[in-house]
Amino acid sequence: MAQAVSTPDGRPLAAAVRHRRATRRPWTAIVLFIAPAMIFFALFVLYPLLATVYYSFHNIVPTGGQLHTVFAGLDNYRALIADEIFHLSVKNTLIWGVAGPIIEMGTALTLAFIVYYKVPLHRFYRVAWFTPMLVSGVIVGLVFRWIFNYDWGLLNVGLRAIGLENLALNWLGTREWPLWVVIFVHYWSTFGYSFILLLAGLTAVPEELLDAARVDGATPLQTITRVLLPLLRPTFITVLILSFMGKMRAFNITWVLTGGGPMHYSETVATYVQKRAFAWRSLDLGYPSAMSVVWFGVVLLGVGLINRWLKRHAD
Amino acid sequence: MATVASAGRVRREDQVAHWWRRFLLLALSVVLLAFTLMVIVPFIWMLVMSFRTTGEILAEPYGLPTRLSLENYHRLFFDPAIRFSRYFVTSAFVSGVALVLTSVLSTMAGYGFGRTRYHFRLRSPLFGILLLALMLPPQILYLPQFTMMGRYGLLGSRWSLVLLYTATALPVSIYLMATYFSQLPGELEDAARIDGCTEFRTFWQVMLPLSRPALATVILLNFLHFWNELLLAVTMVTDPALRTLPAAMMMFVGEHGSNYAIAAASLVSAMLPVLILYLVLSDKFIEGLTAGALKGA
Repeated sequence: MAQAVSTPDGRPLAAAVRHRRATRRPWTAIVLFIAPAMIFFALFVLYPLLATVYYSFHNIVPTGGQLHTVFAGLDNYRALIADEIFHLSVKNTLIWGVAGPIIEMGTALTLAFIVYYKVPLHRFYRVAWFTPMLVSGVIVGLVFRWIFNYDWGLLNVGLRAIGLENLALNWLGTREWPLWVVIFVHYWSTFGYSFILLLAGLTAVPEELLDAARVDGATPLQTITRVLLPLLRPTFITVLILSFMGKMRAFNITWVLTGGGPMHYSETVATYVQKRAFAWRSLDLGYPSAMSVVWFGVVLLGVGLINRWLKRHAD
Repeated sequence: MATVASAGRVRREDQVAHWWRRFLLLALSVVLLAFTLMVIVPFIWMLVMSFRTTGEILAEPYGLPTRLSLENYHRLFFDPAIRFSRYFVTSAFVSGVALVLTSVLSTMAGYGFGRTRYHFRLRSPLFGILLLALMLPPQILYLPQFTMMGRYGLLGSRWSLVLLYTATALPVSIYLMATYFSQLPGELEDAARIDGCTEFRTFWQVMLPLSRPALATVILLNFLHFWNELLLAVTMVTDPALRTLPAAMMMFVGEHGSNYAIAAASLVSAMLPVLILYLVLSDKFIEGLTAGALKGA
């Protein structure tokens, strides 16, 4: 019996089964299911991505009425190092990428717990807080441009009405405030989604665990810190990464609210790329592409860092 | 005697704790209502403004409408120079077609990637590339996409938006569908095969109906994204007549910027379809947006 089981043609059974399974893998089905989407993806996402990397090492030079792409080496990247506006936009984007998710996750988590414990009116809160997320960034930007208007905006009129005249600032016209106004308005329109996802994560915690905690005599605070928060962790990391990526790519609200101004004080990489690529009609391909490559690198780095940092703290 | 006294003290402590709790709850409610006010005031302000006339607004920015006039809305939709309705048609067309394409492509690919039965050697690298694309700020792709659309004569056509919306929505949609499909039990699939179902029928009649929560998430998320998208819309389509709603809005408020009443009416009517859908379906809507989104977390 020590002999391995084998098939009539002398091959070991296990290998034969493995072989049959491999040949029986439904290749037609796999190709039919995956290929259409992957072709679409390759054509309209992957190819443009590679083209952006390619462009970033090239420049467009008009010669004799025609446009030619000329290899430029690292010229575009070197130009980035010298570009003050780019520095400012990176700084703003990073401030946003750090401050935005902290504010958003902090409040969204608090609010999720409040609704989770069913305070009075919790159903109303849940519906109301989520609403801004449904509205286009264009509309949000336009409405808040009015709200933050210096002369007759809702905010300043309200502040003056309650006697806080000196807090009624020129929100969109000064150096310090536009970026924070943009951060706030974007927060206003996106915190609802983080809140709702965290709430869904909380409600998904099995009832038995909460009962067990109660039986063991855990205080409400202990239930939160020892049961709910640890179980919420994977959801929290996902939502945090979504929030971070949202801030890094945010465009509509910035564009409509301040357009990156005044004097680039609220410029982000997203708006600056758009300006260099299209709005200034500079017909430049290489420079915005180099900017995009750096940008993608920063986003990947940020997501990687969040992932690593939180995973390590989990152990 | 001692027990009676201590019982009285306990009752008094109970009462203090009770009132303290009520007070805390009240304070919390005040804070939460103030926060909620911050969330909904912009909507209310727009709504009120859209029923007034620009003259009234300029005279007294924060008055209430003197009469409930639908004049702004009437002008918005029936003034031949504005005819706001055509942008709704364009947006509905672009979002609708892109939504159908995205749903079909991503459910199929999600099924192909999600089921262990179909695992093949290149699966992981392919899926990895999709995940990488998930983190891509879409703007990075616009320049090459622009030249590409120019090359194929699609620049200025609504089809360019349909194609690009679908393509950029694919990574996240495939990811959501694949994680959901991968968590469905394999027995159903085996049973269907034993009953003689083809691969495609197994997918279509057995597995797809089970994936409805994830599909709802994919549809809602993408609908919101397509309906609200601005940057591609203004980059690829420059013909004013073919603008989508957000693009038209941007231009419209730019041109009629000082006509606050009608600008407010345009903002309200642009967000109304989604808001009505949401308020009618709110629980289902929220469920739909979250059910599929956290499965893979």
